[in-house]
Amino acid sequence: MKIFDMVELGLANLWRTKLRTFLTTLGVVIGIGALTSMISFGTGMEKNITEAFKTNDLFNSLHVTSRKIDLEKISEGDMGSITQEMAKKPLELTDSILGMILQVEGVEIAFPEITFRAKIDILDEEREVAISGIPLQMKNNQPFNNMAFGDFFESDTSKSVIVRWETLKRMGIIIENPDEPVKLNFNEKENDFKIYPPDSVIGKTIQIKTAVMDYSNFKLNPLKLLSGNPELPFKEEITEFKISGVIKKQSQFENRNLKGEVLLPFKTANEVPRLAFTNIWDALGGGAESGYNSIYVRIKKPSDMTPVVKILKEEMGLNVFSITDQLKEIRRAFLILDGILGAIGTIALVVAGLGIVNTMIMSILERTREIGIMKAIGGSESQIKWIFFVEAGTIGFVGAIFGLILGWLVTRIANQIANTQFLPAGEPKVDFFYFPLWLILGSIAFSIILSLIAGLYPAIRAARIDPVKALRHD
Amino acid sequence: MGKLKIIDLVKTFYKGDNQIKAIDHLSFEVDTGEFVSIVGRSGSGKSTLLNLIGGLDSASGGHIIFDDKDIAGWSRKELALHRRNHVGMIFQSFNLIFTRSALDNVILALTFGGTAKAKRKEKAIAVLSSVGLGERIYHLPDELSGGETQRVAIARALANNPDVILADEPTGNLDSVTADEIIEILVNLNRNKNKTILLVTHDQELAERVSDRVIRLLDGKIIVDKQINRTHENI
Repeated sequence: MKIFDMVELGLANLWRTKLRTFLTTLGVVIGIGALTSMISFGTGMEKNITEAFKTNDLFNSLHVTSRKIDLEKISEGDMGSITQEMAKKPLELTDSILGMILQVEGVEIAFPEITFRAKIDILDEEREVAISGIPLQMKNNQPFNNMAFGDFFESDTSKSVIVRWETLKRMGIIIENPDEPVKLNFNEKENDFKIYPPDSVIGKTIQIKTAVMDYSNFKLNPLKLLSGNPELPFKEEITEFKISGVIKKQSQFENRNLKGEVLLPFKTANEVPRLAFTNIWDALGGGAESGYNSIYVRIKKPSDMTPVVKILKEEMGLNVFSITDQLKEIRRAFLILDGILGAIGTIALVVAGLGIVNTMIMSILERTREIGIMKAIGGSESQIKWIFFVEAGTIGFVGAIFGLILGWLVTRIANQIANTQFLPAGEPKVDFFYFPLWLILGSIAFSIILSLIAGLYPAIRAARIDPVKALRHD
Repeated sequence: MGKLKIIDLVKTFYKGDNQIKAIDHLSFEVDTGEFVSIVGRSGSGKSTLLNLIGGLDSASGGHIIFDDKDIAGWSRKELALHRRNHVGMIFQSFNLIFTRSALDNVILALTFGGTAKAKRKEKAIAVLSSVGLGERIYHLPDELSGGETQRVAIARALANNPDVILADEPTGNLDSVTADEIIEILVNLNRNKNKTILLVTHDQELAERVSDRVIRLLDGKIIVDKQINRTHENI
């Protein structure tokens, strides 16, 4: 008797006893369905959270500042440390320091931060925004690698800008993707929001209006000062740029470290005429005679954070400010999350495992007599074991496939309910469940192996059973 | 095959602390083509003896010489081969697999016996018609009458062409007319195909009517071993 015969016998046995096969498989299906939906919830949770962290770049970016900033002390109200720090000579952040930072292992990108406030004028709408310069390398990073409309800058010196979708919306300009029509809500209609196609913005002109010092018409007039209406030595300078792209709307997790609602190429930003200091970093770094006030550093992955911070601080003697460094609690939160996922996984494995083992054992024990008959007519123990091996493996495999389908369907329904019932209206949809490839393959393997073990144990027992007793068995 | 020799056979069961000698130092020989009936009250050890010869059970002592080989003390694997190739067993309760059709029950025995897949069906149909079951072979055992069911069981026992047929009360669940038909099949197998037949029955009259020899057991021992002079040939 060949292996093929035993495979055929096993499959034929399953086919002949359709109801029993169906019920046994159903037990496996439910087990695997429960397992995959629970684990997919865990992995979905993990994915949502880590992806939120990835895009918001809170956990993979840090700032090297010319002065030391200790958030913990500030939050404790210890302003003395700030005054102390301000009295010291700030560290000069030069291009050679930038070059050294770029050499540190784990650093993906580092560039000096240039941020200033200015008014912008697009499609006759005006708004004051923060403007930042970013280098060309950022092209391959979130969110620039996936623009909603248009493209990234062509060079570090091109006279073009990238605008955030939300910034335009705040100005009453809604850019509509032709594939996804936008409906204005009541509030937006009331406030005269307008919908524009992408090409009415991309390639069009944007005006950036900055304040610059201008003493040419400035006369110190004591009378005007007394009247409370002094003339100031400022004037508005208008520079024109082309809009090269629009960044996608970001999720609510987005809390970007990369400031700037409007982004300019790094060198272009440097050359925009403006006042010397316009933001907190400038103010804190004020007094640096040359060099940059702060350098933005992006880490390849959050786990590189600690070693990179250590090198920058201890070996290079730089002042480093990073959120993760400040908030050690976050690491604890991740540990707790891992623990919860592990617990969910273990419970699911045990529940599914016991279910599968139970159904397989029951289905084989009730066939003791059949096994006795097979032995009486000359079936050897190994042949009988093989037949049951095939049966159990098939049930495990088929059960896993349908269990995955069941798990998927259940999670789709649960996801729909969660999104429509529990999430506040208007929030972007969240996928709470995630089926990575390892979960799909893993649950199939788990189901087959467990079914084989669960089927093999009673099959070995039954195959060894005294045929005389087995024949007497009802 | 040569003679079947049973030498000083012992089978002991344990029930709690009690030792029960089901077969107690029993010896006899059966010639090829002999029709031997084993009779006795229930508990006399006749089914146990049949199970030992059939290799379903293993002896506590003594020898069962089959084809000059002592199967007592064989491994479970060797006993499986013995059951497959040398003996065919028939039971009172038929012991067909009730989820398989009559044909499939016979095919299963052929599959275990190593018959090539292409020849199994043809061979199964042939052996089923040889015991008078030409039709209804695709029915499940539940859908067959008692006589038909036992014919399927006989066909299955014959499938791998064994030398010895071991029949344990094959007519116990049948009415007298059907029982006679089944016995007739066994007698024909014995007379026409020279199969050695060991028939366990409690029916002394039947035993004396059909057999060459009647062995009576009591408490695992032979108390009567009688040759039947079958001159009147009444079957």
